[in-house]
Amino acid sequence: MLIPRKVKFRKQHHPDLDGRAKGGTKLNFGEYGIQALEPAYVTNRQIEAARIAMTRHIRRGGKVWINIFPDRPMTKKPAETRMGSGKGSPEWWVAPVKPGRVMFELSGVAEPVAKEALRRAIHKLPMKCKFVKREVWE
Amino acid sequence: MFLAQAGMIPRSFVVSEVRIAAESRTEFGKGAAKRARRAGRVPAVLYGHGTDPRHITLNSHELMLALKTPNVLLRVDGLKGTDNLCLPKAVQRDPIKGFLEHVDLLVVKKGEKVNVEIPVTLTGEIESGGVLNQELTQLEVEAEATHIPEGVEYDIEGLEVGAQVTAADLKLPAGTALVSAPETLVLTISAERTEAEVEAETTEPGAEGEGAGESGGAAATETAEAAGSNE
Repeated sequence: MLIPRKVKFRKQHHPDLDGRAKGGTKLNFGEYGIQALEPAYVTNRQIEAARIAMTRHIRRGGKVWINIFPDRPMTKKPAETRMGSGKGSPEWWVAPVKPGRVMFELSGVAEPVAKEALRRAIHKLPMKCKFVKREVWE
Repeated sequence: MFLAQAGMIPRSFVVSEVRIAAESRTEFGKGAAKRARRAGRVPAVLYGHGTDPRHITLNSHELMLALKTPNVLLRVDGLKGTDNLCLPKAVQRDPIKGFLEHVDLLVVKKGEKVNVEIPVTLTGEIESGGVLNQELTQLEVEAEATHIPEGVEYDIEGLEVGAQVTAADLKLPAGTALVSAPETLVLTISAERTEAEVEAETTEPGAEGEGAGESGGAAATETAEAAGSNE
């Protein structure tokens, strides 16, 4: 599971999800990828589930890149607790993703295999996404 | 151009010239640019060879079709002056929808040498048991502005595990010189993962559900507390 090795501040404000991704909107490593169409916080468990879904489908061939990292802590107050008494304790980690961001890349497999692998991975993610492919004019 | 798009012409063939009508821009800024885009025009700027930049708009559909050919040579009609032969230098697209937002066009002259990036395409199949890793998809070359090749092809048929191809191994079309370093890695063939490796990679860490959630949370707290002294 992806998790930061060390953090400067253990409780942080919620990262903003306004606007569109200003970088990482193109395929840089692989031939195929998953691009976010909506803003969302992607947890490390969702990233792991998506990676496993695509790796299981492509089996032995291919290579996967993960372009996002869950480096923002999310806190939660315990159940049945009154409000106040400070911020809750860190519970999970998220990567803030804005529309346009290419989150996963894949190469070394045929297009139909890549499409199916990425479709399975998209089902594990919390936002609408689309399959993208490297074009010759890009 | 259309034959090339249909894949009927080998990629090493020279990019053809496309004529495109332009109109001068009189109003500027994002409001004017949005109005132009709504009207089916793409804001563009034409510069180079010491000429003053000329702000123009181009038909978005015609430009989109033209730009499907990499490094297409454009002849811009409807403008004063003779320096109307140009190459797309920077193309800005909407990251989600992919429509054209703005184009920088660089004025070129016949016979002039320019540095451009051409696509590297691979043909054939590698030996079974190998995984193809293409490290380089665009190769920087020097070519005559009016004779830019559409791309460079490399046949990977029968390449074995451990094989490496560098830029020096690519056969460039006539009249084209390599600008990228010759030792630049183009592709490698690595061995497929074994079944055991696949199993290890696809095994979920810990159990799914509540237990995993608690362990994940505990790990997060531990990591954070390890650095807590910095607070």
